[in-house]
Amino acid sequence: MRILIVDDSAMMRAMIKRVITLTDVPVESILEASNGREGLELLQKHDVQLLLTDINMPVMTGAEMLREIAGHERWRGMSRVIISTDGSPERREEAADLDVRCYLEKPFSPEVLRDVLNELTDNELTETD
Amino acid sequence: MSSTNSRTTNLPKLTDPEAASAMFEAVRAVAEQSFFAVAEPTDDRSFGVAAVQVSRWLVATVGFEQGPLSGTVSCTLPEHLANGLFDAFTGRDPGDPAPATLLVHDLIGEFSNMVCGAWLTRVEGGRTFTLSHPSVEPAMKPAAAGDMRLVTAIDDLPVAVDLRLSAIKRLNGVPQA
Repeated sequence: MRILIVDDSAMMRAMIKRVITLTDVPVESILEASNGREGLELLQKHDVQLLLTDINMPVMTGAEMLREIAGHERWRGMSRVIISTDGSPERREEAADLDVRCYLEKPFSPEVLRDVLNELTDNELTETD
Repeated sequence: MSSTNSRTTNLPKLTDPEAASAMFEAVRAVAEQSFFAVAEPTDDRSFGVAAVQVSRWLVATVGFEQGPLSGTVSCTLPEHLANGLFDAFTGRDPGDPAPATLLVHDLIGEFSNMVCGAWLTRVEGGRTFTLSHPSVEPAMKPAAAGDMRLVTAIDDLPVAVDLRLSAIKRLNGVPQA
């Protein structure tokens, strides 16, 4: 599985990467971007199966990036997870409209992220079987 | 946590004690969940006594907009607390080479980002908001208090969280200005 992490904090990206290594997620490679524009460019260059993105970022927000890829056949099977400080119902409703599978609110413990990723992977495998 | 457990100073407009209580809850949630640290309420006197023993501070500021509410949240904390939080967040062994200043600043910026977001979610949970990329600056002493100041202790070290408002029309449904 190729994974893309989009967050403007290098330390948050490093933490997410570290947690991924503790999960059952079969990792082929992990790509990183510091804003939605960079994320979009990587999505256009690589086949990504799991996208983990922040919302509030400079240049292009995570929501803007998700709106750009919503409805495109190329990314139809890609799992989308939002990891954001914005836990508002309004933002969650918007995420649901953008095919987001899971919404994780910061702050969170590494264990919570690990469990979310394991559950996501289990469900994906079940759906694929 | 009741509102009496957190202390605020210089609070000319934010009279709703829930806003101050929510700020402490936000700090505590961020400290405990993401940094494995303990945040406790303190008072101005205890903060002042602890603060004079600190010679190097970091001030991490993030701007926010949420409907009619906009401003900044600044977290001011001792540099050695920032290094401790870095170790806790990354699992760095204290015996390892010291982390780059840029990475410590990045993480403390993320700390302020999470505090601001968690506070906004608590005070106006229904509304979405935007946050600016955090700025982090070293300081020799804490800046003057903002429109609302929360003083707290994280791992027994003094921390100030200042809210500065640039526009506000209402908070929790109550007109403020």
